[in-house]
Amino acid sequence: MKKLHIVGILLIAVSVGVIISTIADSSTYSNFTEASQNPNTDFMVVGQLNLEKEMNYDPEVSPYFSFYLVDGHGKEEIVKFKGNKPQDFERSDQVVITGRYEEGAFVASKILMKCPSKYNNGNDIEVKSSDS
Amino acid sequence: MEITYLNEHLVPGQIGNIFVATAFVCALFAGLSYFLAEKRGEQSWRSMGRWFFRIHSISILGITASLFYIIFNHYFEYNYAYQHSSTDLPLRYIFSCFWEGQEGSFLLWTFWHVVLGNILIHTSGKWENSVMAVFASVQVLLGSMLLGVYVLGLKIGSNPFLLLRQNPDMMNIPIFQNPTYTDLIEGTGLNPLLQNYWMTIHPPTLFLGFASTLIPFCFAIASLWKRSYHDWLKPTLPWAYFGIMILGTGVLMSGAWAYEALSFGGFWAWDPVENASLVPWMFFVAAGHLMLINQKKDRPTSLLTTYAITILTFLLVLYSTYLTRSGILGDTSVHSFADGMPGQLIFFMALYVIFSAGILIFRSRELPSAAEEEVLMSREFWMFIGALVMVIAAFQITFTTSIPVINAIFGTNMAPPVDAVAHFNSWQIPFAIIIALLMALSQFLKYRKTDFKDFIRKIALSSSIALILAVLIAYSFQIANGILIFMLFASLLTAIANLDYFTRILKGKIKNGGASIAHIGFGLVLLGSLLSAGLQETISVNTSGIDIRMKGEEGNANLENILLYKNDTLSMGDFRVTYAGKKKEGINMFYEVNYSQKESAEKEGFSLFPRIQLNKMMGNVPEPDTRHFWNRDLFTYVSYVNQQDFDEEYNADYQVADTFVLSKGDSEVFAPYLMTLRTVSTEVDRDSLKLTGSDIAIKAVCAMDDMHGKITVLEPILVIRDNRIFYIHGESAALGVRLSLVNVNPEDGSMTIIYEKDQNKKEDFIIMKAVIFPYINVLWIGCLIMILGIALSIYNRISRNRSK
Repeated sequence: MKKLHIVGILLIAVSVGVIISTIADSSTYSNFTEASQNPNTDFMVVGQLNLEKEMNYDPEVSPYFSFYLVDGHGKEEIVKFKGNKPQDFERSDQVVITGRYEEGAFVASKILMKCPSKYNNGNDIEVKSSDS
Repeated sequence: MEITYLNEHLVPGQIGNIFVATAFVCALFAGLSYFLAEKRGEQSWRSMGRWFFRIHSISILGITASLFYIIFNHYFEYNYAYQHSSTDLPLRYIFSCFWEGQEGSFLLWTFWHVVLGNILIHTSGKWENSVMAVFASVQVLLGSMLLGVYVLGLKIGSNPFLLLRQNPDMMNIPIFQNPTYTDLIEGTGLNPLLQNYWMTIHPPTLFLGFASTLIPFCFAIASLWKRSYHDWLKPTLPWAYFGIMILGTGVLMSGAWAYEALSFGGFWAWDPVENASLVPWMFFVAAGHLMLINQKKDRPTSLLTTYAITILTFLLVLYSTYLTRSGILGDTSVHSFADGMPGQLIFFMALYVIFSAGILIFRSRELPSAAEEEVLMSREFWMFIGALVMVIAAFQITFTTSIPVINAIFGTNMAPPVDAVAHFNSWQIPFAIIIALLMALSQFLKYRKTDFKDFIRKIALSSSIALILAVLIAYSFQIANGILIFMLFASLLTAIANLDYFTRILKGKIKNGGASIAHIGFGLVLLGSLLSAGLQETISVNTSGIDIRMKGEEGNANLENILLYKNDTLSMGDFRVTYAGKKKEGINMFYEVNYSQKESAEKEGFSLFPRIQLNKMMGNVPEPDTRHFWNRDLFTYVSYVNQQDFDEEYNADYQVADTFVLSKGDSEVFAPYLMTLRTVSTEVDRDSLKLTGSDIAIKAVCAMDDMHGKITVLEPILVIRDNRIFYIHGESAALGVRLSLVNVNPEDGSMTIIYEKDQNKKEDFIIMKAVIFPYINVLWIGCLIMILGIALSIYNRISRNRSK
């Protein structure tokens, strides 16, 4: 067997590894119902802010930020974020949060805000939890 | 009813549109002429081709100039100016507006193609006809991106000179009923993130890099076409390394921009858009090295791979344009630009994929290949392996970045890895180690065959130095992670072995040292990223005593942001930090944060001014400020501030807090202020207060000292008019304090002052994050050395090509 054949086989093996690992590492866009059935597993939930309910952020009292999010299935849940409130959070029309249920509450580690399309020239804002 | 609009400036747009049409048509004819010139070998077709390409070039310049003219003069009746600029935009950002939008960025790309194409016409010699035919075909497709015409119901391209009232999303707005509407409109302005000096230089550099991938592509296709499988490498090599240098610089600049202007907290975040420009560079580097291997005339070992990777480099530039411009990354990227025309781009890509794959497969049997087997101990074998590892590494990045594309094609619902940085690092660190080791060791292998013992003897010195240094650094920084120590060793070895090669084998001759110097730089880049990213330390841990643990979590009480009240001093790492106040300058609110080192002989501290850029249209954006020390950077940004800083309709709510009787010179503590009644006077500005000559007015001059050296003077006034008393308050919105002088005791002259406090006013505070990046300068120095090294080797190669 030629050396190049060995190299070729190795190459294919690594590529297959890359694909499998990416699929294994990838998460799924999900909803609160699914996430609540699998606590302590990370999910990405796409949803819209419920602006009628109060967002709670008073950094002088508590460094945590909480808000209400309605997922794609219409389920509403309070989300706790371990970090500060993103600037202009109210203006986002869609929010992608990454996080998990911990003891019955959804705790987000990352927030990606989608701003209204009229502003959308590169204006999506990503905020990471302060301990990630 | 047809409205006749007044005050519109239609001429620049009309001129621009003429240029758009001319550019497209001339590119088409240039391609055809060059094609016929190659087919028939007639001189006349070649000069036709040249002329058409020149007219095409002038037209592209004309489009650029017209668009600049429109933006520069704030003609907001044009959609492009309306969407990407505004009157108050500083002049230096006018360039950024130009390439913010899709049309402008295609124009910038085409512009660089035109520049490169004109150089090629004069330098490519016998390759001119075939190379320029391929080149012009790309210009036809790029030119079509600017047309903005409808053919059989399909929209072809997007016109940069579209009028606002022709924009389908805007045309029904009632303002266009007004013939003089141009007086009423104002541009929406430039995205605040792009209002940064890096944004004026990094897109042109990046696009020049993208543009330069076209030249090796054209040579590759032309050589397959002409069945001249070997001659193309010599003229292509300088271009390939030029492209590698420029594209590499562009990628590094985008990292520098992210570091300086974004609050990512680092220079590389594995963001999909960043990845989209890194991947073509990695392919380009692999292609460049494969070209070097195959250049040796007698024995082309891997010509087919060289062709494939060279062609893929250009196709990946198209793909990355598709990724960033089509909006498909929308859910995953911080900065995707959702205003593309995916259909046309996909067509463009598919056309070139099919065309180049077809010609390569068609010719693959004819490609010459080496009769003998590769020698294991040869430089070219390991360079080949290195190039392949680079390609695999790039493939890994592309695959994960393409998750949204995979979803779109297969209807799956995958989301990108939750922890993208960890995901990419788990693959890219091992790849980087392998590449670094190959870069260090293969220099010492000879082309053809090397004696194994001789090789070991040559690398022994640098290997032992690198090993000792790696152990020392790992020990002193307490790096315990095995794979990081290995990477530390590999990157040190790359830098040291190449330095050794340069000084011992090349005897320090700069002329031949380009490759070694570039590799030293690359080793330092790896080392700098490892140290600065791996050892970065967030020093702004919450020490305020607020300890609200979330249920079920441990050790999370120390959050990586601190709350600083104005004039408070907190301890942070080996610094003391004080928030000294804010000031507004133009569109920026600057927050002054004073630092002083705890254990430093010099008492002098320094101040950082992280800012928040105020932008009503697009939201406020925090921007960091960084203090550069020789061995570390202190990176600070404000992550949250008292929102009252920005409220325009702020309603104060004054409530009586206290009443005091004071005589002249008395002081009283109104926490947090010390108030002193300085003096009493009857001299008031009657005109501005609208008082008549018969009114009696008494003014109390009160100094409010905030105990930190800042004194605000308030002057409440008591007015008596026709036996009626009224008060003019002394008020400071900034302090949230209102004073009223309500009584003057005629016997002892003492004053009764009511002190009111704004209940809505919150104390001035910021929440900020501070991160230390150690030895980040190693990274930047590495970048410069690498660029210098590549530049040297290009220079050397061109002068060698000339002298032959």
